[in-house]
Amino acid sequence: MKDINIVIEICGSAGEGTISAGEILSRFMSSQGYEIMSFDSYPAEIRGFGKCVAHTRISSSVINSPGKLADVLIALNDGHSISQLSALKKGGILIYDSQPAKPHEEDKSVLGWADPSVVSYGVPLAMLAQKAAGNLRGRNMVALGAIAALFDLDREGFTDSIKARYAKKKQIVIDSNVNSFLEGFDWTKDHIEKKDTFTFDGVSLEPRGEKLIINGNQLVAQAALDADLKFYAGYPITPATKIMEILSKELPGYGGTLLQTEDEISAIGAVVGAGYGGIRAMTATSGPGFALMTEFTGLSVMAEVPAVIVDSQRGGPSTGIPTKTEQSDFNAALYSGTGDCPRVVLAPTDTASCYDATVLGLYLAEKYQTLVVILLDFFLSNSIRNIDTPKKPGPQMLNANVNPTEEDLKDYKRYKFTDDGISPRAIPGTPGGISFYTGLEHDERGRPDYSDKGHLAMSEKRYRKHASVLKEAPAPVISDFDGDRADIGVISWGSSAGAAHEAVATAKKEGINAASFSSVMLYPFPDEALIEFAGRCDNILIPELNFQGQFADYAQGVIKREVTRLNFITGRPMAAEDILDKMREM
Amino acid sequence: MVEIQSKYLDEKLDQVRAMDFLQYRSGDLPTWCPGCGYFGIMDAFYKACRQMELKHENICTVSGIGCSGRTPIFINSYGFHTLHGRSIPVASGLKLARPDLTVFAVAGDGDALGIGGGHLPHVARKNIDITFILFDNSIYGLTKGQSSSTTPYEMKTNSHPVGNPDSPLNPIRLALSYGASFVARGYAGDPEGMKEVIMEGTKHPGFSFIQILTPCVTFDKSNRTWKNLKENVHPLRMSPEADNMETAMRAAENQPFGVGVFFKDKDRRSYQDILDGLNA
Amino acid sequence: MPANDHYVIIGNGPAGNHAASTLRDKDKDAKITIVSDEAIPFYYKPRLTRYILDEIDAKDLMVKQLSSYSDSGIRLRLGQPVDRIDPDSKTVFLHHKEEIHYTKLIIATGSRARVLPTMRSYSDCLKFISSYDQVMEYKDDIKQAKRFFIFGGDLVAFTFVRLLSKMNKQVSLLIYPNAFWPFNLNEEMEAAIAQSLKGLSVDLLVKDDIKAIAESGNGYRVRTTKGKELNVDMVFSFNGLIPSVEFARGCGLDIDHGILVSETMQTNIPDIYACGSCAQIYNPDINTYTTSIGWPNAVAQGEVAAMNLLGDHKVIESAGRKYFDLEGVKVKTTWWEDIEERA
Repeated sequence: MKDINIVIEICGSAGEGTISAGEILSRFMSSQGYEIMSFDSYPAEIRGFGKCVAHTRISSSVINSPGKLADVLIALNDGHSISQLSALKKGGILIYDSQPAKPHEEDKSVLGWADPSVVSYGVPLAMLAQKAAGNLRGRNMVALGAIAALFDLDREGFTDSIKARYAKKKQIVIDSNVNSFLEGFDWTKDHIEKKDTFTFDGVSLEPRGEKLIINGNQLVAQAALDADLKFYAGYPITPATKIMEILSKELPGYGGTLLQTEDEISAIGAVVGAGYGGIRAMTATSGPGFALMTEFTGLSVMAEVPAVIVDSQRGGPSTGIPTKTEQSDFNAALYSGTGDCPRVVLAPTDTASCYDATVLGLYLAEKYQTLVVILLDFFLSNSIRNIDTPKKPGPQMLNANVNPTEEDLKDYKRYKFTDDGISPRAIPGTPGGISFYTGLEHDERGRPDYSDKGHLAMSEKRYRKHASVLKEAPAPVISDFDGDRADIGVISWGSSAGAAHEAVATAKKEGINAASFSSVMLYPFPDEALIEFAGRCDNILIPELNFQGQFADYAQGVIKREVTRLNFITGRPMAAEDILDKMREM
Repeated sequence: MVEIQSKYLDEKLDQVRAMDFLQYRSGDLPTWCPGCGYFGIMDAFYKACRQMELKHENICTVSGIGCSGRTPIFINSYGFHTLHGRSIPVASGLKLARPDLTVFAVAGDGDALGIGGGHLPHVARKNIDITFILFDNSIYGLTKGQSSSTTPYEMKTNSHPVGNPDSPLNPIRLALSYGASFVARGYAGDPEGMKEVIMEGTKHPGFSFIQILTPCVTFDKSNRTWKNLKENVHPLRMSPEADNMETAMRAAENQPFGVGVFFKDKDRRSYQDILDGLNA
Repeated sequence: MPANDHYVIIGNGPAGNHAASTLRDKDKDAKITIVSDEAIPFYYKPRLTRYILDEIDAKDLMVKQLSSYSDSGIRLRLGQPVDRIDPDSKTVFLHHKEEIHYTKLIIATGSRARVLPTMRSYSDCLKFISSYDQVMEYKDDIKQAKRFFIFGGDLVAFTFVRLLSKMNKQVSLLIYPNAFWPFNLNEEMEAAIAQSLKGLSVDLLVKDDIKAIAESGNGYRVRTTKGKELNVDMVFSFNGLIPSVEFARGCGLDIDHGILVSETMQTNIPDIYACGSCAQIYNPDINTYTTSIGWPNAVAQGEVAAMNLLGDHKVIESAGRKYFDLEGVKVKTTWWEDIEERA
């Protein structure tokens, strides 16, 4: 069967319907049985004239990374699209508005800057939108019509996807959008002589069950609700804000409370307070907010109070680049704050695992009475996939607190030494469990204890939890080896893992003997598995979206060997092509 | 020496155990300096709990850092000694998570108005139902005598040996302008009076702000001393209804030593009630 | 209006490119833009024939790489046809609705294949070799095809015929002696041509003409006035070139077949120059306007136009560069004449 693998980018100005057009395209392609991964980027400035790009990869087989360059660029806005041309493949397809309301100033038209190899189609987007709906808002739909016509997509099926997208809107809105799409479709069929060879025609995919079209932020919120979250406190920050907005709407219906605080210190403070109160609580933030939360990371670990922080990484340091993706909070997540402070760090590796990681994070925090940091990034937060509906957590994941027994309550010790490091936790309100929590070093009863022996014993107890967590942590994902050894082992984490596994699979087809390893569990890290894997590989490659190779530094410390690093901080997510290129060099 | 001190304290403990309200006292010995005003505050606190017949396990006291930070350890109830300046956020989260608990937050002047000063306006305007007790001795005690946010102008301290260049905050006026729905002041030398405002604040459905004037017997020998306080403290000279913001503001300005309730807004709903109403 | 001078050159052939590089040499600061409706960078058009038959590869076809333009600060706009020019506002209107403002404009759009008036009704059946985009469309067809009918005959045609017969294709060549472009075929040249075709299996038709062309199966049936019937796969027309100046008509420029310019390549409108085979240059010796073709002429004219645009006063050598060499046939160049009527 013909293999389809295409990246379509729609580029426009905020307010031109760029993102909605991308959503509809994803929705339709998903309904046709394709795998989709889409990723929107938009300006830090919300309204006005900022550049928006809806990037959608469509494939007839499984995809794990967004694709590096676009095959098709739909320019809703010439000015913004000019800078997007660098992401268009040589020989790619450009669709532009051939009849703009007024002519472009010199050097302001996208076609004026297109590479000569680009196949361009001028479609009178504005004119057709005006004709279809009496205004220019439907230019995005006209453009979708053009692409659907060019690529032989199902005209009626596409119309259904548009109707579904605007189902909650007034009929006139639905009609305008549908009519604009049809106008674009029909005009293109009648007027455009196809010069490229791309088509979806002749592909037949197995029909599949209803898929969720969803991004990481939405999944985190849904997972939290399903995992019995009862309290969320937060402060708005890109790219995590959406999590708060969703929960703000949904949490009360689940019997929970949402608190928007004056800053991130207060947010994590309230989460720690609620966790202390015995309910599941979390917050979500990004770099600058995480920096503010640092003092509470120590308290959560020291006082042994459950807390979950979702950190959706963006470009840093400091305020950095709020709308660009990066994986540069690895060190901060593991080591922020002072003292010996063993917390748990998880990093989902793709959209679907954002759900599982959130469920796991809330479970581990409650059971181990500690801080769990879940590292997403701008890309995972915002990229959209079509996935199967996640399985809801069972009761064993929902009631994780180790309650004190009657025996324990006879002489209750809040910080009792145990083999697994977990001291039974009496929730405030429990008769007989009266206890004192503190951020001071303390004895088993929570009384301040500055003795050397006491500090050592308590530190050991806190670190014992790490060993216990590892026993029930998800195992790393390791690809098959061709034979005993591999020339190149690619070790990855977070959102780069999908690209890494995809790159290794492709490399194997090219005859490169490679294997891949990724782990959702970052801290404690499955060191033994890492050592074993590395021992079977002649060379190790670690791709990650940060400048210094933060994870590579960690891995080198574990495997005691130099690794090859692939680092870039361009703001775009890791693509399989990036890793493949590096592997071919090695 | 240690033995003698220990014996003395044991005897003292036996004495206070004989008094009924001391069931709210934990077995741990306060680490405060002898003569500290905080002992008086604790007495008032225990008495208030006794009189309200609060269940031990349903009381939660959240503290920050400073001399006041140790407070929860001396209370026979659940307690959480958190971070410097952060008792309010933690107490807020706790109360919203567990509306069934009676939540107190305690903090010193440095804790509440200095490092944690950013939280006060928000807990006040949200009207989260916690009782906040400000142990105001107008100095940093635990770090040994530096100027705080309520240290008077030109007072000599260890951080300002030739005189404090900063003007002090007026905590009552702040709380009023932040929109606190219950604002009162107590005096560490008047346990009965303190007990009354703590009880009234605890019963108030919403955020209660209670400033306690208390000396630091070790690091403040000139300003807020027992002697000065005894001479100056007086019951508030205003209507006990305390329902007028303008009057309250004037009293905050003109009666720096007046104790009692400055302001209470009986009709204002607590944050939890507002949320329940919005989400109904 | 741009802050600095903006020299816009329409046309990416030898005249346009040499004008651009001359301008860049003399003026380091000006903005220079080359606009072309062809999507391919500067290439040797005379080598197209050999390129499509795989005699040479892409690198031998190209004169310049794209990078050399950015290196010399010349903005290249390829595949961007010009709709019209407005000399009053000094604006070039591109087909994709972009307006370019120039301070000085050079038109060097060259020429395109001419369809004989008598052949217009058969134009769907005809193929030409006059631009890259055009020939790429039937490059593969040429390889597949076995039988060719070629008529008219200009110098490019001979290269094509020779290469085709080398590939063992069956070629019929109909020569129009009185329409040999751009010259009349004299005895000397005819002999030279016959010599050059010697040894090739070419079916030469002389003093004959096409009566009709019709589609037949996957190919065409050609009938001649002398009653010959030929079944072929492709029919190629080599009947010279005409200036590509349609976009310039109606803007106030004096245009005959090409754009009329003085000996200094200046048009009738200030700040607009034309050069290369799209221009007709005044020749004072014969008091008329003539067009010269060929690569060296185009280069020379591009340079002269650029120098004069910059304020110099150079006169194009109308007597110079009289000969050019093609396929071993030394040909004396003459000026463009109105063969349209004589055809």
